[in-house]
Amino acid sequence: MSDTACSCDTNAASGNQRPCFVRSAECITAFGDSSATLGKLLEGRVALAATPALMADGGELVPMALRGTFREGSPPRWWEDLLEFLSPVASGGWGSARSPVFFASSNFGIDGLYSTGKRRSSADVPFSTPHGCVQRLRESMGWGPVCWILSHACVSAQLAMDRAADAVSSRRADRALVVSFDYVGPFVSGGFHALKILNTDMPAPFGDVGIGSIGLGDGAGFVEISAEPSKFEIAALGTYNEMYHFTSTEPTGSGFRKLLEPMADRLRNCHPWIKGHGTGTLEPGRIEARTLEEMLPSSPLVSWKGSIGHTLGSCAAVELAIAMCAVDFGSIPGTVGARPPYFATNVMSAPFSPADHDSVLLLCNAFGGAHGSMLLRYD
Amino acid sequence: MSTDLVHELKGLIISTLDLKDLDPEQIGDQDPLFGEGLGLDSIDGLELVVSLEKNYGIRVSSSEESRAMLQSVAVLAAHIEAKQRELHQVPESPHS
Repeated sequence: MSDTACSCDTNAASGNQRPCFVRSAECITAFGDSSATLGKLLEGRVALAATPALMADGGELVPMALRGTFREGSPPRWWEDLLEFLSPVASGGWGSARSPVFFASSNFGIDGLYSTGKRRSSADVPFSTPHGCVQRLRESMGWGPVCWILSHACVSAQLAMDRAADAVSSRRADRALVVSFDYVGPFVSGGFHALKILNTDMPAPFGDVGIGSIGLGDGAGFVEISAEPSKFEIAALGTYNEMYHFTSTEPTGSGFRKLLEPMADRLRNCHPWIKGHGTGTLEPGRIEARTLEEMLPSSPLVSWKGSIGHTLGSCAAVELAIAMCAVDFGSIPGTVGARPPYFATNVMSAPFSPADHDSVLLLCNAFGGAHGSMLLRYD
Repeated sequence: MSTDLVHELKGLIISTLDLKDLDPEQIGDQDPLFGEGLGLDSIDGLELVVSLEKNYGIRVSSSEESRAMLQSVAVLAAHIEAKQRELHQVPESPHS
């Protein structure tokens, strides 16, 4: 099962819709939880390390940030890690019509199928499909049956948050839980490597360098969205698919403009900082940085994927949790992994204070030119 | 730049991308392969790179390199020749 989005939509509260809020968000990366990750980002530390592209099967060394050592086998290496991560929300009474769960991943347990084919063992199959993963997660967490499963490459978690917020703001649900996880495996890293966007170079998001590369990272996040007011209000959401190129966005930045145009009024009334997508690929990085510089010239732009890697379909949830933690802590990490010159003057390399702003614009992109955005206001 | 290689590459482009209505002679050496030239898209580009890696034993490591080499058949031929020279270069022995 998968849902895809290819239309422009802003989920601002209006008419019969009510405001909705992010009550809590947490994540895990190669560094640990949001707090541990924030600490490392503020120090400018890089979790990415040279790792064989096909992991146990070798291959060219490429940047990856894994949680622990890669291993094949059943249950998959991510299973216990994910259960432990989700334990704080296990007893929340999730999975009912008024409290649905939105599961998202770009790959779910696809590497189990790769492993199954290689080892001629069917032990991994139950964890290898979206339905299999979700069913086992629900059972382990004691959650009810009302859930959605969404997958659309690297905007998966953003789409899940979009749908969860829509359920809450349109009063179909009181609250919603988004759960997203993506752990890197050889099937996924091999695919990125074949596309020539994962190579031996370390990612330098928004850096004006000769060769670009992404780095891949393990990551998971959960986000609780509710009508109950909290410090973080979802002021606007947007999705747009420009369908231009499978690894780049349209050269003039029209995709970013169309994504943000519907929320222009709200952006004019805010003073946001921007957590960009910023993978480290050159063309999309240049287009993103320059378009945002033109549209929001006084908003500093950062990317953390040069440190924790691209956590794929989960990046929107993972980076939202880090952003909220940073706002609470009082210091926003600058872009990590890149040095000047940058593609645009608004790229921020040093930490800065969230108090100089009243909101954060969170962006993510996916293959084919899919865009997702969230404008999050904070007190 | 070898004219044989240029002709061979035009044939490879046609066969790899299944451009049945096109003859090698219709592709100019300097014609842009993407956009207004031959009109290839990003998927065509990747298919072509994979085919070039297999046929010429070269390695293309990044999308930037891929984009640079696929400007035209002439640029592509020069790039392949340079890559092959690198591959066949025998390192000098430190004792020689």
